[in-house]
Amino acid sequence: MEPLGLAWLGAGIGAGLIALGAGIGIGRLAGPAMEGIARQPDATNEIQRAMIIAAAFIEGVALFGLVICFLLNIKA
Amino acid sequence: MSSFSGILFILLSGFTLANPSGATGEEEDFDALHHTADGYYMDFEPLGKVELPRLLLVRDSAGEMSLRLYTGTAAALRSGEFVAGGEHGKEDDGEHATGDPAQASSVETLIASGKHLDVQLVPASGSVVIDLSITRHLVFAMLAAGMLLTLFLNLAGRYKRGVGRSSAPRGIVQNLFETFIVFVRDDIARPNLGEDRYRKFLPYLLTVFFFVLTCNLLGLVPFGATATSNIMVTAVLATCTFFLTQFNASRDHWLHVFWPPGMPVLVKLMLIPTEVMGLFIKPIALAIRLFANMTAGHLVILSLIGMIFMLNQQFGPVAGYGVVPASLAFTLFVYLLEILIAFIQAYIFTILSALFIGMAIAEHGHEETHEHAPESVGEAGLSPTH
Repeated sequence: MEPLGLAWLGAGIGAGLIALGAGIGIGRLAGPAMEGIARQPDATNEIQRAMIIAAAFIEGVALFGLVICFLLNIKA
Repeated sequence: MSSFSGILFILLSGFTLANPSGATGEEEDFDALHHTADGYYMDFEPLGKVELPRLLLVRDSAGEMSLRLYTGTAAALRSGEFVAGGEHGKEDDGEHATGDPAQASSVETLIASGKHLDVQLVPASGSVVIDLSITRHLVFAMLAAGMLLTLFLNLAGRYKRGVGRSSAPRGIVQNLFETFIVFVRDDIARPNLGEDRYRKFLPYLLTVFFFVLTCNLLGLVPFGATATSNIMVTAVLATCTFFLTQFNASRDHWLHVFWPPGMPVLVKLMLIPTEVMGLFIKPIALAIRLFANMTAGHLVILSLIGMIFMLNQQFGPVAGYGVVPASLAFTLFVYLLEILIAFIQAYIFTILSALFIGMAIAEHGHEETHEHAPESVGEAGLSPTH
């Protein structure tokens, strides 16, 4: 296969893996947070705040990966 | 470009339709990356494009520095002091001599084709030291700053006169923005910075929140551009947070960075580089997060629109027209999502800034090695007051 195609393939697979990782991460974060809110509705605000911050960190890592895929992609 | 790799490219980064015979004007290159990128012109596309002034600091072949100002890229090229370089200027590489008629006519054809807007200006002699030209993103960042200044100076004047302090806030604008300001104060600043310290950092947090929010929303306005989808803009904002964090850091913070307490020396030696890297990675992540979020959203919108053109080219006009309803529906959905994301990213940028500053200014006993002192003061700040 031509090298350019391989780069695009790598970027595509990378983007998929990133989505998988971020999905697992945010899923593991949001599930317990929902349970926590269900058990302690009083603490909704604080759980939500902590959850959003943690989600932002996970998202940040995912976006790092996405930027690398992007750079691979526009290398052409 | 083979159709397979073409589709891959479209799915990943948006849409490029190379149309070698596209002199008809209607069939233009549709390049999503190009639309989200910065440029030296304002794009009012069905109506035309407006070139922005170019300001370049040039060192000529004799070593003299001089500042050149032109009304636009076309004027700079016509002056003969600059030639087209970069991607779109490659075909002109053979003609280096300035001032000869062939060069002048090729400049005119370049300008007539509209491609001069994307060329890199290369001085006929010497080199560019700094390109200080005004770009689209700068225009919109300044527009956002101007809007915020007008709005908030007006609002501040009202509070000074007592409207909103001794009486209830009046009018839609004041009520709306008081809600936002109280939100930033009570949900972002107070819980993260602590009850007694938050006042010092509140002006910065409010500024950043409203600036990022306005820039994000201006990108969704027709003919608008998202200043926050430029890594330079977000990097400057993150640098502000970085310096604010370091200059206000407490003794405990530096102790935790350079000699983390309560650990064996070997672990300390491993932790110190990590902690030092952490100081820099925090603002870098802050910048990339905002930049990537705003860029990605616009790329998705443009890719969905681009799908119409792609199917039109690959499978004929029937498929092109057929995909229009689906494409537009998804675009509308993503557009609404973008409005939500504009708010969420402004919130996240602000709350992470507050969190980083709060972690750095927190003072705690040396026996306690956790960095979560601000959490304990969170409950105090829940009742909104004027």
